[in-house]
Amino acid sequence: MGQKKGHPLIILVVIGTVLSTIISICGKNGIYAGYNYDFKSAPVLSLMFRGFSEGKMPWEILTMGINEGQNDAVENSISGNGISGNSVSGNSVSDNSILDIEQGLDESTIADSSSEADSSDLISTYSLESVDADYFNDALFIGDSRTVGLSEYCEELDQRATFYAKVSLTIYKVLDTPLVETEEGDDITIDEALQQNQFGKIYIMIGLNEIGTGNTEYFAEAYQKVINRIRELQPEAIIYIQGIMHVTADKSNSDEYVNNDNINERNEAISQIADNINIFYLDMNSSVDDENGDLIKDLSFDDIHLKAPAYERWYNYLKENGIKK
Amino acid sequence: MAAGSLVFYAIADFNFIWLLIAATIFNYVLANSIFERKKEYLIISICFDIMLLLICKIFGQAYIKGFLPIGISFYTFKMISYQIDIYKGIISEKPDFIRTITYFIMFPQITSGPIMRYNVFCENTLLDNNEDKKGWKDNFSYYFDQIEDGLRYFIMGLSMKVLIADHLAMGWKEIGTIGYSSVSTPLSWFGAVIYSLNLYFDFWGYSLMAAGIGVMIGFPFVINFDHPYSSKSVAEFYRRWHITLGSWFKDYVYIPLGGSRQGKGKTIRNLFMVWVITGFWHGVTFNFILWGGILFLLICIEKFILGKLNVAGKIIGRLNVLVLIPITWVIFAISNASDLISYLGRMFPFFGIGESINYLDISKFVGNYGCYVIAGLLLLIPTFYDYINKNRKNTIFSIVFLGLFWICVYSMSNAVGNPFMYLRF
Repeated sequence: MGQKKGHPLIILVVIGTVLSTIISICGKNGIYAGYNYDFKSAPVLSLMFRGFSEGKMPWEILTMGINEGQNDAVENSISGNGISGNSVSGNSVSDNSILDIEQGLDESTIADSSSEADSSDLISTYSLESVDADYFNDALFIGDSRTVGLSEYCEELDQRATFYAKVSLTIYKVLDTPLVETEEGDDITIDEALQQNQFGKIYIMIGLNEIGTGNTEYFAEAYQKVINRIRELQPEAIIYIQGIMHVTADKSNSDEYVNNDNINERNEAISQIADNINIFYLDMNSSVDDENGDLIKDLSFDDIHLKAPAYERWYNYLKENGIKK
Repeated sequence: MAAGSLVFYAIADFNFIWLLIAATIFNYVLANSIFERKKEYLIISICFDIMLLLICKIFGQAYIKGFLPIGISFYTFKMISYQIDIYKGIISEKPDFIRTITYFIMFPQITSGPIMRYNVFCENTLLDNNEDKKGWKDNFSYYFDQIEDGLRYFIMGLSMKVLIADHLAMGWKEIGTIGYSSVSTPLSWFGAVIYSLNLYFDFWGYSLMAAGIGVMIGFPFVINFDHPYSSKSVAEFYRRWHITLGSWFKDYVYIPLGGSRQGKGKTIRNLFMVWVITGFWHGVTFNFILWGGILFLLICIEKFILGKLNVAGKIIGRLNVLVLIPITWVIFAISNASDLISYLGRMFPFFGIGESINYLDISKFVGNYGCYVIAGLLLLIPTFYDYINKNRKNTIFSIVFLGLFWICVYSMSNAVGNPFMYLRF
């Protein structure tokens, strides 16, 4: 362990800085094109390191054409359109398809067939009613950290239901992330787990981690695919699509992406996936919102997650709003 | 360097740069008279600096959020020490303007210290020792030695901050997310450890980075933390924690008040003054005053009771450092009274405080943050750090530092690009 002469540390730091800057500049419009980069918040070389975390190696610049990069960009880019304030309040969305449902779930009845799509007898007259704790014995919950919280701080539910939930889960990776622990101790994906186990009800709440990724259309498409796949694997289960829970006003007013306008827009889009026959849309926000439609400040420490005692509200909402067939 | 520092400050806080410049010029003008031992000017300058700090603190926290010029707590303290040192003759040469302004606003220290003294500042080897060196080549090599060594300290500090403290900060935040009244008792204690280590490595890491940059530009290495957790008493802890602040209080508050040489009553009074002001300096909310008050009590108990017990006193002293200090940090961390009561109520679950508790939460936290806590605890052992420090110029350590540097860059790049990295839902 001799003491080396010269100044290897500075030299290598400088070389590394120059190299990574060059690579980042070269890839800026290529493989890193999708990253929203702001020169004020970080030096350009940060692009290369962000690439690493997604498994994009610098030498891919050489092999990857610009076009490919731009396809990627679509996936990564932030939706710029339609974040405006068009609210998704209680008015019905009356287009023409059979998939349409009323939004007014606060009254805890799903629109019966009073909409114009009467022609079809398929429209259900199921209404939401209160259920007891054992209703959840054959229920599965899929979701991100908020659902993790529900499992951790709602003992009555946790003892009965199954949870396939993980922090930072997104709709794009929900079925392919190995997160379900088997009896042998392996981790398998939700897709695999749903092939092995059947459930009576499947509740899903997901969509906040990816709120800055893609646009609403892209998100809803991915959501539809996931629901289709679950439907295929679990033909008998009632599927509940849960609207994404709101954030507090503080967060909503200060964050470009994570705000309630965006959440409402996406909730509106995924609510369209429900068919009211065996896929239903539930919006638990009424149980945790203040009069302005923001998450009540006192219920959250970080403006995003519920504090432990507040999970009870969510659970009670689910108990009040079940479908019995 | 003065110009560079001004630009640095302007980028960080453009709105208040006029205040910094005005205070600097005002202090410099007065310093000329203070150098001639005119006491009234000394009093004026100290009153001015204290008022400036007080007004900003009170306004910043009580009335207008954000009315707190960056680094105000640090540069006003530097100004006070500068004036007193001039008056006492510790600064022997009449300071020139450029040096004064550079000293007040030098960029590595302006935001959070360390509070370097002016006479230490003047020991800059790059500025002064040029004449001793022969020729350009020697100087060149010497500069690079300095930069290389400063870089080592900088990387050590950066790693502590980015790889340890920032992760522990996530853990502390996650405890808040659960809600202070809903953590299990083991988790509340683990949380106290997480927060204590977070604070320590955040601050020690920052201080090492600042000291490292100082070394790069020729200043002596400023020791701001000297293994406080290996102390034998709370009093010793604070002689080794944020040393430049502690010694500032000792030299400019405690000793001028009479220190500990004027009887028990006055000693207690002086300690009380120091700790209330220290609490106040950290923030105007009640928890900082409470924090300062508790430390005052602990130090008094040590001085007048434990000091008389031999072996038992030493054991209790160590326990105080390792058990009571983390509790005082919890008080330091939580500014809301009812939240603080909830948290302490969970640490000492005899009062029936608590709701919706998941008693298995501790295992999740140990799993997620255990490795950072262990890394932090290892670095608390003085021999461990000293070994690294002593061998820092070895090839193997150079490779380690280089690796750490790029890991930190990786981590920071992703934190910036992805706002959710430190906050994933």
